[in-house]
Amino acid sequence: MNLGAFILKNALRNTRRALLCVLSVAACLFLFVSLLVCLRELTVPPEDIGASLRIAVRNKVSLTVQLPARQGPIIARVPGVAAVTPFSWFGGQFGTEEGTPFAQFAVDPAKFAAMFPDMRLPADQLANWIATRTGCIVGRDLAEKKNFKIGSRITLRGSVWPCDLELIVSGIYDYEIDSTSLFFDHKYLDEATGNTGTVGAWWVLAENAEAVPGIIDRINAAFANTSAEVRAETENAFRMSFVSMLGDIATLIGAICTVVVFTLGIVTASTMSMAVRERFPELAILKAMGFRTRELWAFILAESFLLAALGAVLGIGFAIAFYRSPPVVSAMSIYFPVFEISPRIMARAAIVAAGLGIVASLAPAIQVARLTVVDGLRTLD
Amino acid sequence: MTLPFSYNARNVVVRWRSSAATVLIIALVVAVCLILQAMAQGIVSSTSATGDPANVIIVRKGSTAESSSIVTRTQARRIQFLPQVQRDERGDPISSAEVVVLANLRRRGGAGEANVSLRGISPAGRALRPQVRLAEGRWFVPGKREVVVSRRLAPRFEGLGLNERFKSGAHSLAVVGIFDAVGTAFESEIWLDANEARSLFDREQFSSVIVRVPSPADQQAMKKSLESDKQLRLLALPEPEYYAKLTKSAGPIRFLGYFLAATLSVGAVFAAMNAMYAIVGRRTREVGTLRILGYPRRIIMLGFLMEGGLLALAGGALGCALAAPFNWVTTSTISFDSFSEIVFKFHITPWLIIQALAFSFAIGVAGSFLPALRVSRLPVIAAVKAV
Repeated sequence: MNLGAFILKNALRNTRRALLCVLSVAACLFLFVSLLVCLRELTVPPEDIGASLRIAVRNKVSLTVQLPARQGPIIARVPGVAAVTPFSWFGGQFGTEEGTPFAQFAVDPAKFAAMFPDMRLPADQLANWIATRTGCIVGRDLAEKKNFKIGSRITLRGSVWPCDLELIVSGIYDYEIDSTSLFFDHKYLDEATGNTGTVGAWWVLAENAEAVPGIIDRINAAFANTSAEVRAETENAFRMSFVSMLGDIATLIGAICTVVVFTLGIVTASTMSMAVRERFPELAILKAMGFRTRELWAFILAESFLLAALGAVLGIGFAIAFYRSPPVVSAMSIYFPVFEISPRIMARAAIVAAGLGIVASLAPAIQVARLTVVDGLRTLD
Repeated sequence: MTLPFSYNARNVVVRWRSSAATVLIIALVVAVCLILQAMAQGIVSSTSATGDPANVIIVRKGSTAESSSIVTRTQARRIQFLPQVQRDERGDPISSAEVVVLANLRRRGGAGEANVSLRGISPAGRALRPQVRLAEGRWFVPGKREVVVSRRLAPRFEGLGLNERFKSGAHSLAVVGIFDAVGTAFESEIWLDANEARSLFDREQFSSVIVRVPSPADQQAMKKSLESDKQLRLLALPEPEYYAKLTKSAGPIRFLGYFLAATLSVGAVFAAMNAMYAIVGRRTREVGTLRILGYPRRIIMLGFLMEGGLLALAGGALGCALAAPFNWVTTSTISFDSFSEIVFKFHITPWLIIQALAFSFAIGVAGSFLPALRVSRLPVIAAVKAV
């Protein structure tokens, strides 16, 4: 019997206990991974290549205060600006659902393709959208979930805007970072509200990344001391501003992660000390045979490491399978369009598991180190 | 013949060392779940404590928040002079046409920002909310760009302290008073004069109208007359009813709490099972003896289930104790109804504590089921001979 087999036999000789410990570790690691993904989705907005060229312009008071439509042409004339589109949150209610079930934005369809180059929309569908005043495009995931097809009619009841909209689906787009939104023509919104004067925000595309800071300064300066002062910022900065609005939620989730890790530590440590305590007589014999404390600790370490590793494989593996299964994906998509367990998060969970293996072996190792051969042999279970 | 309850109870106490880890695990699980539920409850409690049943709030039909509601000035005037509205001693209707604007303000001690509700009120607005009391300083004087700030909001945002100033858009506003709105949704607000707010934020119309209509029959009559006029597209609700619905943010938090409870309880059950197997394993001979004394299997099994449950209950109680200090902690998050910052306290209700204790007891019973079954099924002779 070699050393590996010895450790494996030891770990599995109380199969039930090893199994329970592994399952317990797996459940906690599953949760740990879920919380980490959740935290990342909340605090690190997704980025795409085009984002570095895009600038969001909103009212300086807050995003919920409208901007005058006359600002559009002024922004378009700022040097370095390639395109400008209004970007108004509609926030309509759909069907019998309470609240806003998916995001809806009023934009300028003609500028849209240039603004979001990573968004894939067939050319004929884009042309159809531009040509249809009441047309809209929907993300692939949203279309699948609500069973929208090209030509479907969608009625939205305004909650922010005092009007209802009757839209026709002109196209279905694919976009990695957001495939659950609906975009429609701002002209139709103006028509429906009978008000051509206001927009929610502006989205601006810069000609190149170097021009971005200059454009931001010029736009901010252009409307200073007017009745609608603006705040221009990069799209990423704009997205990040939502993170701060979440308030203490992110801190709370972070704290829960810590508690979960701590719980995991107790689970494995108590299992290991149970396993070692009942083995005192044998460990005493090994000591008497000339094994050193260091070597005995290595046995214990390997065993607890094995338990933690099995738990990690099971927990992380289950998390990956769980969050990829279609029913879960569609259920989660309201809050998290992307809920992906990135390699970085897997690595963090694996590191926690490895740390766990080491920490759990410490207390038993100290017990064994203190154990004299005679006492060990005398121990009754 | 039943085992005396004290047999199992004393066993838990006497052998606490072997089960301390399990108790601690369950305590942590219960504490985490309880804190999340208390957070969701805090949102619900603050909105359900808001509003006076004698007040009716009128907003645009279909709007989900006051900040996105529009009541025109003509509509506001018409509402104020409805016959049901109570008059004060001078014969003026007790009503307040209000404007709610969200202002993006900088948090203290960090780079973050959040939307804060600014509520412009008419002179009667204060009398309509007796829950709101001035705590420090004085009330604002209309036209002088002055505001009063909730006591809970003041320490959280830059420039909101007494005698400080903050900028919103192009305007600078002075904080001249701090108000106390004990446990209501007004704790997340800044108040100023309605007409001043309209001019500062370039708002032609009002957001909502609040009127005093004490009798429920009058409230119904008023609701009918307003809502039957389809041209108006207005919604009239008793104030408490309106606020009680603003709890959308509690949903995801509560869901997170349930999700945590579900996954962590799986982990905790396995851990408890491990501990219980060890406990019953050590007492095999004792169980044999009990059998010889004539205790039947199911009584012994029941005893061990009770013991596991008690052990876990101790963990649950410890968990509640760990979570208890949160009951006095103020926290904040975004309201999914109004898209603005809401400030509230964690609220641990007796019902949540009962749920937490029941949850921990269930973990204990579930974890000790298999071990108890095993030990109660052992043949008597084998059990007594076991080392």
